[in-house]
Amino acid sequence: MATMGNNNLNAKLVLLGDMGAGKSSLVLRFVKGQFIEFQESTIGAAFFSQTLAVSDATVKFEIWDTAGQERYHSLAPMYYRGAAAAIIVYDITSTDSFAKAKKWVQELQKQGNPNMVMTLAGNKADLEDKRKVTTEEARVYAEENGLFFMETSAKTAINVNDIFHEIAKRLPRAQPAQNPAGMVLVDRAGERSRAAGFSYSNSIDCLRVVRRGLSSFHGETVRRFDANIRKVDPYVTDWSTFFLAL
Amino acid sequence: MESDSDISTSFDVATDQNPNTNPPETTEEQLQTLTVDETYGVADLNETSNQRGMDEAENGSVVAEVDGRPEPQIEELLAGGPPTISAVSEAVEEVLDLSSAGDTLRDDFELEADPPLSPSSSGYAGERGSSITTSASGIEEVDGDEIDEIDEAMAPLDGSGDASSDSVPWIPGKKHVDEDDASISWRKRKKHFFVLSHSGKPIYSRYGDEYKLAGFSATLQAIISFVENGGDHVKFVRAGKHQVVFLVKGPIYLVCISCTEEPYEALRGQLDLIYGQTILILTKSVNRCFEKNPKFDMTPLLGGTDAVYSSLIHSFSWNPATFLHAYTCLPLAYPTRQAAGAILQDVAESGVLFAILMCKHKVVSLVGAQKASLHPDDMLLLSNFIVSCESFRTSESFSPICLPRYNPMAFLYAYVHYLDVDTYLVLLTTSSDAFYHLKDCRIRIEMVLLKSNVLSEVQRSMLDGGLRVEDLPPLDPSPRSGFLSLHLGQERLVTESQERLKEAYLGIGGPAGLWHFIYRSIFLDQYVSSEFSPPINSSSQQKRLCRAYQKLYASMHDRGIGPHKTQFRRDENYVLLCWMTQDFELYAAFDPLADKALAIETCNRVCQWVRDVENEIFLLGASPFSWYGCCLWCCKEWRWC
Repeated sequence: MATMGNNNLNAKLVLLGDMGAGKSSLVLRFVKGQFIEFQESTIGAAFFSQTLAVSDATVKFEIWDTAGQERYHSLAPMYYRGAAAAIIVYDITSTDSFAKAKKWVQELQKQGNPNMVMTLAGNKADLEDKRKVTTEEARVYAEENGLFFMETSAKTAINVNDIFHEIAKRLPRAQPAQNPAGMVLVDRAGERSRAAGFSYSNSIDCLRVVRRGLSSFHGETVRRFDANIRKVDPYVTDWSTFFLAL
Repeated sequence: MESDSDISTSFDVATDQNPNTNPPETTEEQLQTLTVDETYGVADLNETSNQRGMDEAENGSVVAEVDGRPEPQIEELLAGGPPTISAVSEAVEEVLDLSSAGDTLRDDFELEADPPLSPSSSGYAGERGSSITTSASGIEEVDGDEIDEIDEAMAPLDGSGDASSDSVPWIPGKKHVDEDDASISWRKRKKHFFVLSHSGKPIYSRYGDEYKLAGFSATLQAIISFVENGGDHVKFVRAGKHQVVFLVKGPIYLVCISCTEEPYEALRGQLDLIYGQTILILTKSVNRCFEKNPKFDMTPLLGGTDAVYSSLIHSFSWNPATFLHAYTCLPLAYPTRQAAGAILQDVAESGVLFAILMCKHKVVSLVGAQKASLHPDDMLLLSNFIVSCESFRTSESFSPICLPRYNPMAFLYAYVHYLDVDTYLVLLTTSSDAFYHLKDCRIRIEMVLLKSNVLSEVQRSMLDGGLRVEDLPPLDPSPRSGFLSLHLGQERLVTESQERLKEAYLGIGGPAGLWHFIYRSIFLDQYVSSEFSPPINSSSQQKRLCRAYQKLYASMHDRGIGPHKTQFRRDENYVLLCWMTQDFELYAAFDPLADKALAIETCNRVCQWVRDVENEIFLLGASPFSWYGCCLWCCKEWRWC
C-alpha cells in the first residue's frame, strides 16, 4: 500500500509474470542500469528499492521481483498483498507468457488490492522479428481491463524508466488541491480526514480513492463499484456521470 | 563380494556371476541400456582390499588410553602388527589372498590389464559390437573419459581456487542437454543421476533432456516395480564395472548409475542428498500431488533448479561434508567468531529461528532459537542451494525453503543477503510476513560486523586458508600457550628451524609423508580438513582423494562388519589411516611409501594440533544445534559432559 508523508511516497510494487518473461531484467535495468543476457532464475522473490522524483514529489518504490516458476505461484499472495502497484510482464515472443499474464491480471482483480495501479508490460520489444503477440492485441486487452500498457525492452532500456515513472505518476498521493470536485467527492465518501489537499492526476485514481471511502460504509455499493470501475476508460474525464449512476 | 548378500534375490544372478558368462537374457535386456563401458574388475578388487585393510588395522594397531588422559593415543603394537610391506607386493598379495572369489577376480584383473578386450569376453558383447567396432572402442573410451574428467573434476577441492592453478573453474548448470539415451556420449558418462516418479515419468536427469529420457525412465521404473511386486526392494544391481543404485522415497524414485567404483553406501548417501535437495525446494507435501494424480508431472515444479542439482552432484566429488554428515567452519580468531555469534544470538532472540553467517560452504557463525537444532545435512543442502542460485547475489531475497531434517512437511522462509562476494547471511523464520523485520535484523547485523571488523577478518581468512600439513608442529608434551595459533592470521611463532623444515617439505606434503587429513569432531558435528598442498594439487587428484576418504568412511561405518576403531590401508596411491574414537574421527592420507609407525605418530601430532587450535577452527560454546552436551567450552576437555 502506498503510504504518504510530506511529499514522499512509499509504494510497494510487485512484478508478476511467467518465468523467463524478463521481470528481473526489467528491475535490474531500472534499479542498477544493468542488463545480463542470461539472467539466472529468481528464487522466491528478490527485493529492491529505488526512489523516483515525479514532479514535486518523490516516490520510493519497494519492488518485489517474484519468481515465475510454477512452484512459487501459490506463494505469490505473500508478495502482492498490500501492493500499491503491479507490473504484469509477458514476453512478446511467447503467446504462452501472454496467456499467463492474463491469468495474473485475473488473480489480481479477484484477490488483490482494488486500488492497485496495474500495468501490463510486453517485454523483449527488441526481438521484433520473433514477435508472437501483437501490440494491438495487448493494447485492446489492457484497455478492456483498465491496465496501463507499454512495450518495453530491458536489453535496450526502451520504456523501462518510463513505465516506472508512469506508475509513480498514477499512484494516489498528497498534493496541493487543484480540483475541488475531487475534494467534494472524497468528502462525501467519508474520507474527511484525508480529503483536504487532494487532487488526482487522472480519473481512475480518483475513483480508487472514492472506493476506499465507500468500503468503510457500504458493502453492496463497493461490489457494484468494483464491477464498474474496470469498465471505465482510464482516460475518461467525465467520471462524475459514471459515479452518479451508482 | 560381501555386498552381494544385500541385494534382492531377484538380481543375484546379475551380480554374483562371473562376468565372463552371459547373464540371463531378461536381466541383460533390462540392463542393456544401462551399460556404458565394458571394462571389468576394478570395483570388486577394491572391495576386497578394503576388507583386508580393515583386518590388518584391527590386528595392527589399537587405541589405548595413556595414563588415563582424556586424549587417546594410537600405540602401535609391534608384536601384533604385520611387517610393513611395499605397495606393490601388498597389492599382489591382496589378489592372491582371496579364496572364495579368487578366480573371478584374477580373471577380472587380467582383463583389466589387457586393454583391447575381445568382444566375446563380455556379457554385453552384443551391444558393444553393435554400437562401435572393437578397434575404435579404445579411442572412444579415452574420449569419454576425457569428457568426464572435464565435467566432474574441474573445481579445486576447497573451492577457494588457490590450491590448483591448472584447473578450469567448474561451471554450474546442466550440461549436454542435447543428449539422450541413444547418444554414445551419454552412455559413456561415468556417473548418471536420475529422479523419476513412481509412474516412470522423468523428473531430473544429470545429463540429457528429461523428456527425451522418458523411455529410459520407464525402464528404471519397471525394474523397481518388478522387484517390488515380488514383495522385495532392489538396492543395487552390479553390471560389470557399473553399479546401479536405487532409492525409493514414496512416489519418488532415485537412481544412480555409476562406474566410479564408489561403494554402495556412498552412492546411496548421495541419492539421499539429492532427495533432500528436492524436499528443500518443494517440501514433502509434493507427495500429495502424486496421491491426487499418479501421472503428475513434477518437472515443471523444479524449473530453474538445474544449477542446484548440478552443483550438489559436483560437490559429491570435492566436499567431504557430503559423506561425513558434518559441517566445516572458516578458521577465525576466537574473539572474532564470538563477536559474530553475539550479534546473531541477539537477533535469534527476536523471533528468528536460525541465523547463519557463512562464507561459501564454510560456517562463520550460527545460532538457533531455543531448542531448535540444525542438522549438518540441512546446512549442506541450504548452502548448496544458496551458493548455486545466482539470483541470491543480485539483491536481498525472501524465499520459501524447507529443511528436510527439521520439518520435511513445512516451508520456512529464508531471508538471504550477500554481505560481500562470498559471505552471506541467512535468517530463517516460520513467519511469511517477517521480511521487513528480517531486513532490519540484517542491517543491524551488518553494521555490527563491519564495526567489529568481522567481515575483513573473514576475507583475510579466505585468503590465508586453513590448516596446512607443512605447518604441523612437532609433538610437544608441555602444555601449549593459547596464542600458538598456527597460520590463522595471528602472530605466528615461526622459528627459523621450522621455516627450514617447511621448505624441506615443499612439494612433498607434511612430515612423515603426510599429504592431507580430515578431523571430524563427533559431538560438534563439525570437521576440519587441511588445505590441499602439493602433491595433491590438481583437481583430479583432489577428487580421487575425496573418493578414497569416502570409501574409507563407508568401510569404517559398515554396519555388517563394523564399526571399526582403526584402519591402515596402503595402495598404489596412498597410505590411508583412519582412527575413530567416541569423540572424533581422523582420516589421514600419506605418501604410499610412508612408514607405518611414523604415520601413526604423525596422526597423534595432528590430533594434538587440532586440539591446540580448536578455538579457531571450530564453532564452540553455545551450540544449540548440537544434540550433545558438550563440555569443550566449560571444562576445556574433549569429553562428554
